[in-house]
Amino acid sequence: MTALRPVAVNLLGLVEHPALGDSPYRVDRDGRPYVPAGDGGIVLGLQLGDSVFGLAADHAAPGACLVHPDPASRHALASYACIGNQARVRTGQAAGARGVVVGQRGEQGRVVVGLAQADLARLRPGDEVAVGAYGQGLRPPGLPPDVTIMNLDPGVLDLLPVGLPSLPPPPGGGGAAVTVGVRITVPSRLAGNGIGRPAVGWCLDLQLPPPGPDGAGDLLLGDLVAVTDIDARYNMGYRRGWLTVGVVAHGASPLPGHGPGITPILTGPAGAVQARPDPAGHVGLTAAVLQLQ
Amino acid sequence: MKVTTNAGRLVRQMLAGEVWPALADRHAYRVGPDGQPFLLPGMGGVTLGVHCADPATGYASDHLEPGASVRHRDPGANMALQFLTCVGNPVWVTGGPAAGALGHVIGQHAYVLVDFPEPSAADLAPGDPVTVLATGQGLALPEHPAITVKNCDPDLLARMPGGTRPDGRLEVHVAARVPAEAIGAGAGMVSEYANTDLMGAYQGLGEDLSLGLEGLRIGDIVALADADHRYGRGYRPGYLTIGVISTGQCLLFGHGPGPSTLLSGPSESFWLVDDPDANLASWLHPQPEANPAVPAPREAW
Repeated sequence: MTALRPVAVNLLGLVEHPALGDSPYRVDRDGRPYVPAGDGGIVLGLQLGDSVFGLAADHAAPGACLVHPDPASRHALASYACIGNQARVRTGQAAGARGVVVGQRGEQGRVVVGLAQADLARLRPGDEVAVGAYGQGLRPPGLPPDVTIMNLDPGVLDLLPVGLPSLPPPPGGGGAAVTVGVRITVPSRLAGNGIGRPAVGWCLDLQLPPPGPDGAGDLLLGDLVAVTDIDARYNMGYRRGWLTVGVVAHGASPLPGHGPGITPILTGPAGAVQARPDPAGHVGLTAAVLQLQ
Repeated sequence: MKVTTNAGRLVRQMLAGEVWPALADRHAYRVGPDGQPFLLPGMGGVTLGVHCADPATGYASDHLEPGASVRHRDPGANMALQFLTCVGNPVWVTGGPAAGALGHVIGQHAYVLVDFPEPSAADLAPGDPVTVLATGQGLALPEHPAITVKNCDPDLLARMPGGTRPDGRLEVHVAARVPAEAIGAGAGMVSEYANTDLMGAYQGLGEDLSLGLEGLRIGDIVALADADHRYGRGYRPGYLTIGVISTGQCLLFGHGPGPSTLLSGPSESFWLVDDPDANLASWLHPQPEANPAVPAPREAW
């Protein structure tokens, strides 16, 4: 079957203002109340490559979250925007600034846009940001038929540690696997919020413990992470023998069932998507790769 | 020995709700594990023919909610209804042809789920008012301070077998044990609202989807391994959560029969006894009697 070409759509997002209920408190996994700073909106001083555990924050994302006041438009924005898509600020003091989509977040839908810190500092909730949404439906040449790519701008695929099988396929079809460099591979039982939700327009929180005193087990924003036994072709759920790889789009959370979240980019049978963990040397999605600095 | 509780210090409140319609949107279809589009009933309205002790799976249904699905029209009052109503609370129908029928709460699922005897359920329709005698939040076990009680009517706890063992553990009878891999949608939500969907119970679908949970029944008491539901629903090795299966068959991927939370604490605080009779039907059902003060319900259709 000839792969169809993805189509680009210009969408409009508004920079989010964080929102809380009548009480400022949420309750953490040990029963302690806390004020959830950094959960949406513009977060300064947090960039791709920073630890997901570095701030006293809740789901903090590296940059600005975009939303839309109309719920259906907001879902479309979060579902069509892909990692690596270009974003441009249209109004306010940062008008003209360029950003790049670095992930999505779920529930009502948010798009995380990374910008240079100087541009972020001029941004204000409510500013308009155009997103050139492009990538859903992508099937690059060589992609094994049972592997799905999602949430990824075609231009970013080559910048990530993703190796597609060479063309033409080897005789007999053997060895036709996608290889992906990741920071860590984690078991499906660590998957929390996001299970049972669509793999587009939502992320999958990982219930990871914080790193040890020597930094072992740390995870960085923009890292690629593999999750075993998760099928993310449609809704995300348990399927023995599958593997899903995502990009870490937001930081840790004190909430039970939550944690650093990945935006899925690849899913397929474990034989067709093979993760190559490198806890110390992995380089995933970085500001340098996206030319954000 | 039966477990000691603070039941005498709990308040009881009369809450109001109404049977809520099934909801859909014009795009109709959802997507199953293998990409199969489906349109199936189960959520909202009054689901007939499935009661406590009946199989949870095996129906052409999605998010099967046995009996009546209940909400309140006012958003704030609805959250109070959802949070304060507990498993085992009695519910009376207070209007319509089924007025006077008595049922019991079997769980929450963004609706309060009420199992009525089949003839009463057959006379219920969306819009019918119901009254809930809500009690149970705040229930505590002074001899088991590490265990948190959620969503549990003290009368239900008193009827359940088990109790405080000589070694100090809380003995709980369970019909099934659930591995951490099964935890699906509902992770990360508060444990007083909706429930925890269990994956691995897609009857009739692939072996690679199965976690051996196809035999669950509505009303089964189950133990969730490595689950801490004291302050919301999360994964924590060495913790255990006891729940009751309040919803059934799902085709939506990442979803499945779901337990509403009853007890949660460190694993070593519990002593589990595998018991196929550990089901709400053994203590509250199958056929709660109608309130004799009001006319008997009509014959079923």
